[in-house]
Amino acid sequence: MAFLPAAGVVMILVGVASYYATRSLHGMSAFSAANVAIGLVLLVIGAVAQARRFRGFSGAESRRVVLRWTAILVGALVLVVGLDVWARVMTARIDLTVDRMYTLSDESLLLCKELEKKGGPPVELVFFEDALLAKDVRLLVDAYDDTCPGVKVRDASRREPPQAARDIYTTTATTVIACRGEVCDPVGYPSERNITTAVARFTREHAIRVYFTIGHGEIDLASESETGFSGIASLLRDQGFDPQAFVGPAASEVPADADLVVVAAPERDLMPEELAVLDAYLTRGGRLLVLADAGQRSSFYSEFLPRWGFTLDDAVVLDRASSPLLQDPKPVNLIVHTFAPLNPVTRNLSARTMLLLPRARPVELARKPAPDDKLERAAFASQRAWVSRDVAAALAGKDVEPPDAKDSQQISIVATGLYPRGNGEEDTSHQARIVVIGNRDFASNRLLEALYNRDLFLNAVRWLANDEQRIAITDKAWTPVQDPLTLQTTVAYFYFLAFALPEALLLLGIFAWWRQQT
Amino acid sequence: MIRRLAALSRKELRQLFASPIAYVVLTVYVALTGIYFFQHLVSYNQLLFVYQSEGMTGGGFDQGTVPSRINVLNEVFVPSAEDFGLFLLVVLPLVTMRVFAEERANGTDELLLTSGLRPYEVALAKHGVTYAFVLLLLLGSAIYPAVVVLRAGLGMEHLVALVIGQLFYGCAIASLGLACSAFTSSQIVAAVLGYAIPFVLLDFAWLSNTVSEGVAAVLREVALLSHYGSFARGVIELRNVVYFAGVVALGWLASVASLELNRAR
Repeated sequence: MAFLPAAGVVMILVGVASYYATRSLHGMSAFSAANVAIGLVLLVIGAVAQARRFRGFSGAESRRVVLRWTAILVGALVLVVGLDVWARVMTARIDLTVDRMYTLSDESLLLCKELEKKGGPPVELVFFEDALLAKDVRLLVDAYDDTCPGVKVRDASRREPPQAARDIYTTTATTVIACRGEVCDPVGYPSERNITTAVARFTREHAIRVYFTIGHGEIDLASESETGFSGIASLLRDQGFDPQAFVGPAASEVPADADLVVVAAPERDLMPEELAVLDAYLTRGGRLLVLADAGQRSSFYSEFLPRWGFTLDDAVVLDRASSPLLQDPKPVNLIVHTFAPLNPVTRNLSARTMLLLPRARPVELARKPAPDDKLERAAFASQRAWVSRDVAAALAGKDVEPPDAKDSQQISIVATGLYPRGNGEEDTSHQARIVVIGNRDFASNRLLEALYNRDLFLNAVRWLANDEQRIAITDKAWTPVQDPLTLQTTVAYFYFLAFALPEALLLLGIFAWWRQQT
Repeated sequence: MIRRLAALSRKELRQLFASPIAYVVLTVYVALTGIYFFQHLVSYNQLLFVYQSEGMTGGGFDQGTVPSRINVLNEVFVPSAEDFGLFLLVVLPLVTMRVFAEERANGTDELLLTSGLRPYEVALAKHGVTYAFVLLLLLGSAIYPAVVVLRAGLGMEHLVALVIGQLFYGCAIASLGLACSAFTSSQIVAAVLGYAIPFVLLDFAWLSNTVSEGVAAVLREVALLSHYGSFARGVIELRNVVYFAGVVALGWLASVASLELNRAR
């Protein structure tokens, strides 16, 4: 009979092991289930047989000891379970990751307070436990559950999603879906920024409407090619914005529901009527984002922007340090790593979070339109950069030598303007705002995700749309250095770690055995 | 009491390191962890190469084109730490199987219990020495995650979280193995049970499709792996600390109970 429990244990182990080996094919197979079930039965039969043979505690004192220790063990088990339940309720944790990956930032916590104050049904984060990235973000999702009273986390399986989430297109990478009532939105890559943005969407009355002017050779939001800009349209939708086209000549004014207008690299002149419409919009406290490209000569740059305090010379910024980038020998691919620390558009950018701006155009400040206006330069080329006014030659790779006597002033690529026109400084939501970025290609499909280009674009849009709170939430770094070990270094470590160290330990073991024998 | 504990611990230590088994276990563990760490590093380097090649990025420049989610933490550090946990389960029962069972088989347990030592002191010394051996195992393999920490800038705090987690996890497995050893005089039976119980407790994912959501949640709470993962990610959670401390305490109490029952028999 002693064979039975051992056979039972073996069958349970085989059942569990076969499940792990084949679970990706068909989950729990009949073979695995049968092994576990029969193994359990054998264990019980063996235990009963052993118990019947048990004669060890026939005396009264022995029985008292057995009872006492059984009671102690049961009591200890109950105590441990109780403590475990208490610890789960307490949800205390210490986050020792380098960038505090799993601790919500102050901005997210502020949003949580907003949600709590507004009341209403909680935002539900449907967390797919079987998604590709589930293990990586479980702790982050738990942080919302633990510290955000208006947000509840619901574990779900991709095979059987909750009813509200069934109509949403999901992939194996979809880990989190944010829902409120019957309305659900998938969260893109489940970082804190994206989850908080998804939650924030439910606190807004309507999506932030962004109008892009068209008809003057501006960027093509529909083009999915490398040089197209469909990426920013997707990004804006994903972040809770609603991008729309604004046909300037056909409209007498900017639509009333516009939260901001984007003039993205017009190649041709805007009609005077269109410029007047934009002027009137800004005077009413409108918001404008301008992307400019080197070599463009639209009246928008030469006539309209100087009226609001910006000068965009017909020039291109060159920097030799960045020549190897994009496998382009011409020094036109600018790396930007110097930022105005207090400017709202660049305040979360630093030397560690650089931008890649090919064919950048200098953006300088002109005279303020009104004394109270606040104009500020926000991002700068490096000290070695220079400006070439022969744009065609520079872009063709001809005029690529820096001048002998370079102007020591830093060259600005991004500038912002704030225009408190009689609305009082207290009410910032009605101040006109402009952001001018002397570059277009950084937002192209090819480069939007390169370095921190995406952050610059989103920061600008968020500041213009009075959504500054979200600017400070940066995607935290998983690891500061992404490629710490080359293959050669790895092999060197391998020889030491997998061979030399175990060898030394084995030699020690042989020595111990030899000493024991002698 | 401290002197008695110290003397017994010294004896246990001498016994452990006089036989080659401790060195074999150390060697196997360090070799296994080294090989698997190397495999993860090579796979990660290959992944980086694919991402940095022209075809994937369209750009071909090194830094920045690799998505941030492809990183040494997720691709090397965490999977290695999870593997290390499984290897602890493979090697620890080899150490724990003899601790009590050998004494019982040789009849020296009665000598111990009649020498003025209380059962809880005997259990405390034997558990303590085994946990110290677990710590030694972990320090031997901590070199691998330390390499990642130093080269990738993960921060020493993250390494501390991992070692604390491994120590809790290793002590829990050792404690279960010691409890099994305390209830039998056969080292083979102690080893089989020392493998079987932690292996079944390891992860109840295999049952999650066949039981209700509530039962699955309870089983998740009982499983060893679901409490270990967050340490590898650099987070120390109170509930995980309480869980592992609870398992260690129950294993120790079971050992004491076994010694008490043996004395009363």
